[in-house]
Amino acid sequence: MAYFYQNPLLRWLMRNPIWGFVLIIFIFFSLSADHFFSERNLMNIVVQTSTIGLIALGMTLVMINGNIDLSVGATLALAAAFAVDVQSWAAFSTWGNWQILPAVCLALLVGILMGAINGFIVWKTGVDAFIVTLGAMLGIRGLVFVYTGEQSFYAMNFAYSDFSFMTIGPFPVLAVIFGIAVLAVHWLLSRTVHGRNTYAVGGNREAAVNAGIRVGPHMMINFMLIGFLAALSGVLLSTQMGAATPNLGRDYELWVITAVVLGGTKLTGGKGDIIGTLGGVLAIGILRNGMNLMQVPAFYVYVILGSILIAVLFLDKRFNRTADGGLRL
Amino acid sequence: MLLARLKAGGPAIAKQGILVAFIVFMITFSLMSDRFLSADNIMSVFRQSAIIGVMALGVTIVVIGGNLDLSVGSMLSFATVLVVDLHDKIGPELAIPVMVLATLCLGAINGFLIGILRLNSLIVTLGMLSAIQGLVLIYSGGQNVDIVDQTGTWFAIFGRGAMFGIATPIIIFLGLALVFHVIMTTMPFGRRVHAVGGNPTASIFSGIPRSRVVFMTYLISALCVAIAAIILGSRVMGSQNNVGLGYELQVLAAVILGGTSLLGGSGSILRTVLGVLMLAFIQNGLILMGQPYYTQWLVTWVVIIVAVWLDVAAKRGRLFSPIA
Amino acid sequence: MTNSMRLLLASCGTLALASAATADTVRIGITQNNVGIDSYQTTYERAFIEAAEANPNVDVIVLDAGGDVARQISQMQDLIQQNVDAIIIWPTDGQALVPAVRNAHREGIPVIVTNSNIAEAGMEFIAAFSGPNNIQQGIYSAEMMCEALDGEGQIVQITGMPGYTTAIERQQGFDDRLAELCPGVTQLDIQPGDWNRERAQRTMETFLTRFDQIDGVYSGDDNMGVGALNAAIAAGRAEGMVFIGATNFAVGYDAMARGEYWGSVYQSPVDDARAALQTALDVLAGEDVPKLNYFDTPKITQENMHEFDRPVF
Repeated sequence: MAYFYQNPLLRWLMRNPIWGFVLIIFIFFSLSADHFFSERNLMNIVVQTSTIGLIALGMTLVMINGNIDLSVGATLALAAAFAVDVQSWAAFSTWGNWQILPAVCLALLVGILMGAINGFIVWKTGVDAFIVTLGAMLGIRGLVFVYTGEQSFYAMNFAYSDFSFMTIGPFPVLAVIFGIAVLAVHWLLSRTVHGRNTYAVGGNREAAVNAGIRVGPHMMINFMLIGFLAALSGVLLSTQMGAATPNLGRDYELWVITAVVLGGTKLTGGKGDIIGTLGGVLAIGILRNGMNLMQVPAFYVYVILGSILIAVLFLDKRFNRTADGGLRL
Repeated sequence: MLLARLKAGGPAIAKQGILVAFIVFMITFSLMSDRFLSADNIMSVFRQSAIIGVMALGVTIVVIGGNLDLSVGSMLSFATVLVVDLHDKIGPELAIPVMVLATLCLGAINGFLIGILRLNSLIVTLGMLSAIQGLVLIYSGGQNVDIVDQTGTWFAIFGRGAMFGIATPIIIFLGLALVFHVIMTTMPFGRRVHAVGGNPTASIFSGIPRSRVVFMTYLISALCVAIAAIILGSRVMGSQNNVGLGYELQVLAAVILGGTSLLGGSGSILRTVLGVLMLAFIQNGLILMGQPYYTQWLVTWVVIIVAVWLDVAAKRGRLFSPIA
Repeated sequence: MTNSMRLLLASCGTLALASAATADTVRIGITQNNVGIDSYQTTYERAFIEAAEANPNVDVIVLDAGGDVARQISQMQDLIQQNVDAIIIWPTDGQALVPAVRNAHREGIPVIVTNSNIAEAGMEFIAAFSGPNNIQQGIYSAEMMCEALDGEGQIVQITGMPGYTTAIERQQGFDDRLAELCPGVTQLDIQPGDWNRERAQRTMETFLTRFDQIDGVYSGDDNMGVGALNAAIAAGRAEGMVFIGATNFAVGYDAMARGEYWGSVYQSPVDDARAALQTALDVLAGEDVPKLNYFDTPKITQENMHEFDRPVF
């Protein structure tokens, strides 16, 4: 027992049970699914995970703040629609492949703008972020339908979809972008003043105010960050499709929240980190990929994912007794 | 200006923000479409909102108790598929009680995990949302279920019948609303739910069995889903496996619009009814005006935020949040 | 937890048995749109698996995208990863799967599109398409509507899930053909029913309050059409109203037998599934397969319905 508590690796795993879980399912699928353990498949998993993963990075910040963002799926769809549609605007018709640049920039700006709207409303009205973003989830989806007229857009330029198949050395470019984003947000959260404030605001808002943190603008910045990351995720997803569809990203908010909570971030705020979130998104990615390779029938996948979510929550509670108190949104 | 008024006589009106918004919408729509206020249309909107309405009653009680229930959507699919499928196999007399019991079991699982084990309600019901959807598909094998003899069965009264000239779904919805209103405002159980949701620690010290109260709120929520499923099954006489898809969010939007606080401890059944009707009238009014269906999402966005904002503003006595 | 583990282990066992099959079998992967959303897709899946099991030389990997484009792209990657001999895809979206199909094509894996076709830009990367002609189905429905109304009247339309190819194509075929064939028939409004009977019923109720005179209803499939019929019966206005659908469901067939439903388009998921598998096998056998393989989806009306079996879904 004494050894158990002294071994640093085991102690780390106790604090991050999700990585223990990732390890277990990784070994399980490697042994039982034929094509699971290969360099190409592992890269596939990282690429597949990046969509949810990018948004989850932003969600971690917002949730440590004690807020939540349910509108990310809709923001993703709106950004994807912009990224694909703007390329074909007449204004950029002579730009050749460079027409992709203004399209992507505009899409990212739209994402930041949506986040800013959410953040501003939360700041000024004091209405719970859950309610503000639940409204935005419906409303932004409405904007997507207004903008697209219910149609799918597609990119005439194959250079756009070729981007998603590019590699840098042995790594797919999408995986590299995801990796950079993980490092950047991890750095932001653990090494900067903004990161320290993020924990402070979520942990004890009164104290944060007394310490001179401007809570409103601080939260708004985090909403803009998640808007940016959702838009980036939408842009990268649209490069994989060479198109944007109005229904893109439905239910993603639920998967993102699931991943972040699996990673140990508390809905109450003040606690969580990027390493945990990375574990959370990888757990979902590996499960989905592994079950595909093993041909688990689709109906059972729902039951398995749902049960695992609840089971991990239960185990996490066992390991982290101090976190008692349950949900206070 | 507005701020000063809010501080003076305003709070009474602002507290009824949802009521004010409701009246404004009704007037606008009736000016834009001459059919909007016709008896036929009003009856039809009431009837359509009964299913979401009944579910919203249960969810209101869960939320007052300080928790959330996102599993009601797939639970509705489960209950509807079950009751319709069993109708032709064992007859409606048995199908209804069997379905109600099975649905209550799902509610009991929610209640056990959240009330007894004290797990986070958002995540548990999110997990249940997925798990129950899988369960429905496994049960039905992914096939639609249908009632073959649609005209001969007495099961038709729940969704298609009428009493005293009023459609049964409306009577069930408003009747249940009245019952739950009385329970929540006058009975000890209602006071306990409010206490548990408002201040869980204090309620434990004052001897209220928190676990049991939370458990009960989830049973009530499941019961409401079962009743909604009877109306739905009887109305459609068949069911798809994903019939309740997305209902959890519409239900939650209605509850929030009714001014029930997600922090728990406060909320009202009657105002939830208002929230449900408001969403239904917005949807109906915009379509009557010939707007594309997705404009209702944009309008709902604005309405939810403004209504809740006014509510919150009235409580704190100032329009803008004091957050720096 | 233990339950899900047991499930995993069970399916793992099946896989081991399957891979023990002989070496000269062909492995075909299929990624479907959204099994379980309605009976058509479920029956399709069942028929596909049965057809594959009946053929000892075929080994199939059956996946479902759950209606999510991104998940379908992942599944395409997973199938390419497993080096299957051919991929059958039921696209969740005609446009968005083009790059994924192109990728498979580059890896030398032939792709067969089933049920709902891929966009024009992707046609050069597929080996073949097998399925119904949804635009043609819309045209058939418009012709039936025109015939039933004698070229005069006011109708409403209830479409499938907004943004999905099948819904868009049927609407397009119907709208174009109706305007061309029957200028005397006006469409009062078009609203979605999301392939969902209850939602279609609600949509129809609103139509009924909104318009005093509705002579006909076109629904994107019979499941929604029966919902519309329910609403009209409840309002006491079904008498003389013409209901036309598509994808004849058992409920639609029965309503037709009762004389309440005018007509639909007969489309068998069993034919659909078998045609897809056969096309894939033909492609693998090196036969010269045409690009577009439409299987027959005839009109079905009260008059000729005795020539058709009651749909199994």
